[in-house]
Amino acid sequence: MTSDMTLPLYQTLTADETALSAQVSLAGDNLQDIRRTALERFKAIGLPTLKTEEWRFTNIQRYLKEFSYEFLHSAVQVSADTVAPATIAGLDCYRIVLVNGHLETALSELPAGKGITIGALSAHTTAPGFTTWFNEQPHLASAVLAQLNTALFADGLYIELAANTVLEKPVHIVHVYTSNTPAFVQPRHLWVLNRCAAATIIETTVHPNSQAVTFANSVLETVVMENAELWHYNVQQGAENFREVHTTAAQQYKDSRYHHYNFTLPNTPFTRNNLSVALKGSHTETNLKGIYLANKHQHVDNHTFMDHIMPDCYSNELYKGVLLDSSNAVFTGKILVHQEAQKTNAFQQNNNLLLGDKADINSQPQLEIYADDVKCSHGFTAGQFSEESMFYLRSRGIGEDAAKALMVNAFSHDITNDVSIPELQQHLQDQIAGIMNN
Amino acid sequence: MINSNEIIDDIANKEYEFGFSTDIEMDIAPPGLNEDIIRFISAKKNEPEWLLEWRLKGFAAFKKMEFPKWQHFEMPTLDLQALSYYAAPRKKKQLNSLDEVDPELLATFEKLGIPLNEQKALTGVAVDAVFDSVSVATTFKGKLKEMGVIFCSFGEAVQEHPDLVKKYLGSVVPHTDNIFAALNAAVFSDGSFVYIPKGVRCPMELSTYFRINAQNTGQFERTLIIADDNSYVSYLEGCTAPMRDENQLHAAVVELVALEQSEIKYSTVQNWYPGDKDGKGGIYNFVTKRGICKGTGSKISWTQVETGSAITWKYPSVILQGDYSEGEFYSVAVVRNKQIADTGTKIHHIGKGTKSRIISKGISAGHGDNSYRGLVAVGPRAENARNFTQCDSLLIGNQCGSHTFPYIESRNKTAMIEHEATTSKIGEDQIFYLNQRGIDSEKAVALIVNGYVKEVLNQLPMEFAVEAQKLLSITLEGSVG
Repeated sequence: MTSDMTLPLYQTLTADETALSAQVSLAGDNLQDIRRTALERFKAIGLPTLKTEEWRFTNIQRYLKEFSYEFLHSAVQVSADTVAPATIAGLDCYRIVLVNGHLETALSELPAGKGITIGALSAHTTAPGFTTWFNEQPHLASAVLAQLNTALFADGLYIELAANTVLEKPVHIVHVYTSNTPAFVQPRHLWVLNRCAAATIIETTVHPNSQAVTFANSVLETVVMENAELWHYNVQQGAENFREVHTTAAQQYKDSRYHHYNFTLPNTPFTRNNLSVALKGSHTETNLKGIYLANKHQHVDNHTFMDHIMPDCYSNELYKGVLLDSSNAVFTGKILVHQEAQKTNAFQQNNNLLLGDKADINSQPQLEIYADDVKCSHGFTAGQFSEESMFYLRSRGIGEDAAKALMVNAFSHDITNDVSIPELQQHLQDQIAGIMNN
Repeated sequence: MINSNEIIDDIANKEYEFGFSTDIEMDIAPPGLNEDIIRFISAKKNEPEWLLEWRLKGFAAFKKMEFPKWQHFEMPTLDLQALSYYAAPRKKKQLNSLDEVDPELLATFEKLGIPLNEQKALTGVAVDAVFDSVSVATTFKGKLKEMGVIFCSFGEAVQEHPDLVKKYLGSVVPHTDNIFAALNAAVFSDGSFVYIPKGVRCPMELSTYFRINAQNTGQFERTLIIADDNSYVSYLEGCTAPMRDENQLHAAVVELVALEQSEIKYSTVQNWYPGDKDGKGGIYNFVTKRGICKGTGSKISWTQVETGSAITWKYPSVILQGDYSEGEFYSVAVVRNKQIADTGTKIHHIGKGTKSRIISKGISAGHGDNSYRGLVAVGPRAENARNFTQCDSLLIGNQCGSHTFPYIESRNKTAMIEHEATTSKIGEDQIFYLNQRGIDSEKAVALIVNGYVKEVLNQLPMEFAVEAQKLLSITLEGSVG
């Protein structure tokens, strides 16, 4: 692609200030001040280049320039058939369908009951949970794409659980991304679990076959208050016609537990996941686990940030990657331990299997520590299957591909086995096996 | 621990033990950095035209560059125009033996624990002593000459072996590499030159004591070591500097070239003046060190013990170009008071079957800030490359920081890369265990720290290991809890 082609989205983002400003006005809600501030921040920071430390290995400009995307504010209609492939076999859950970030009530079953508030974000901008927590996560201010989302977002899902509210069934959010013309969408979600609340939320994606490419720049803020617990599974079902920058910004308060599982599956050419957790209370537990399984020329970038602000917290991070074909992956994991955060236990590990001839991995596990009474460690490996294991399986009459699939299954077992819902666990194992067997 | 606060206070109040300065008449260039100064240095040293041109190219590159911003500390303001770029002890007549060396200079070395005469006989170490900028005494030259080993000052090498210098100078660290390397290329004063001919195993450890002495003279050493096919050399570098109030910049460049099946072992003990407990004064140690394993099966090993300097900022690196070549990096970095260390290594695996091993041990105390920053890059041609990295940090006191910023880039699926890093303090249970056995807390800590860094100190040649151990115990004496 030559640089002199006119590329409206890219131009709008970099040069055309009035057009971008007009996009903000389009939202026409009571958040104009917040949106304007975010837009100013976005312009001040500017789009990342390869010289931006946080984006050293990910050339986002390339993907933004790829098509002449349109900003998409209004909802697109989809049918029940579209959503069918997202079903997780045998799972009893509340299913909620979002199309390009807009809640599709006709296809959704919203949990109801005392203390449960679930609905479109745009309908809850005056809710106390919203006014207290929206755009409050401390790491968002420096995240340039999140600022863009704050300025431009159309809608998303708002969840608030009152104190002591426990969701009995998991919530399964199906994100449908589809458009007739290349579209740039900005879903925005806010989930607040008040004191002693608990929930399990599963996110999956569906990409109906269409010519047009969707680029989602989504932001999710989660707040886990005192003694609350959130199990959060994000399954990024890949598709050729999808690009994604996914920002998850969590805050945890005293005695809370947050379990984040991220599964990036093949085919999406570009995925960037920003995951940051700010620990604002002591005695918390955080588990961040992820699998990325990439093929073709896929580029998967996982950026995690554990911010240990308060003492006596525990965090455990494990990301495993399987890289096929010419895929490449980036992993950046930062653990920051503030001086007050004594007695921190923080672990981080990143393991990679490079199976494709041209696959590559760039990893930056970082520890930044200002407290002495801590136990922190990180580990990284990159390599292939051990020849002995391969030989063992082959000598027992298992074909090379089947042996590989078996070993990948074993490699990802550390994470899939931790999934607390058996149906989802099975679903994920089937997905991984399916990919490896093809 | 009961008295951990007192112990930590002690560390901060500890004075630099090697603070003294020697008065020798100097031949000093006026402060300032410009082309005239470069011409002056070049003329003073009687350099050939090509070298002057190279210096000027370095200066041109320097003028285009800016100071980096990515480092994990606040860059001190450096007024490079206020520095004087040439200082040499006044030349006396040609020296034939050690007796002719300035007795005051010899006394300085005595204080540092390297009596030249004694050492000559006892340890078999040839010492090329660089006092500020010009080599004043070179020993064991005769013996080395017999074997064809060239070990001399850089200036001498330029005069006597211009072909070798011309061929390899800037081949590993080009004059455009970074701003400090460019500055060094422009104004480098002197340094050491080593050439080991084919098939020769250098019979003794080669050692140079650098000593920064004159006030306001940046030290811009340039070291070039070439190991020809099937040769071996072990080179030692050690430093202590006298107490000064003004910051001094040290921007040296070290280039190592290892040809077919050769091995270079480069060891450093660095104990320059770290500044006082408020962070005033101290040396800025911004050094570019890089080696290239050009030949098949060659090996370069860096070992460093860094206890001094206000800021230590260097990444001794290895380019593994030859197939089956090997790179190693062993490091101990200790920071206390307000010292800063941002150090580590870069290993580039280019050839197939290349191997590397990185062991880094950081110790932070007081208000010190210690970072490991490193790169392991495996290129697409580096079939079956192998890397193992271990970075451990020990924190002493709750005011210090310890950070790890490794970059790992693999472009070859057959490469095996492992990296692990840990950060912790000395366990109270470990201290308790030793206390129970009648070892007081201070000794217990010394014992634990010694064990902690043993893997690195083991890599040092024996004479150096003893010195390094002494240095560590002095540095952390009465300090750790």
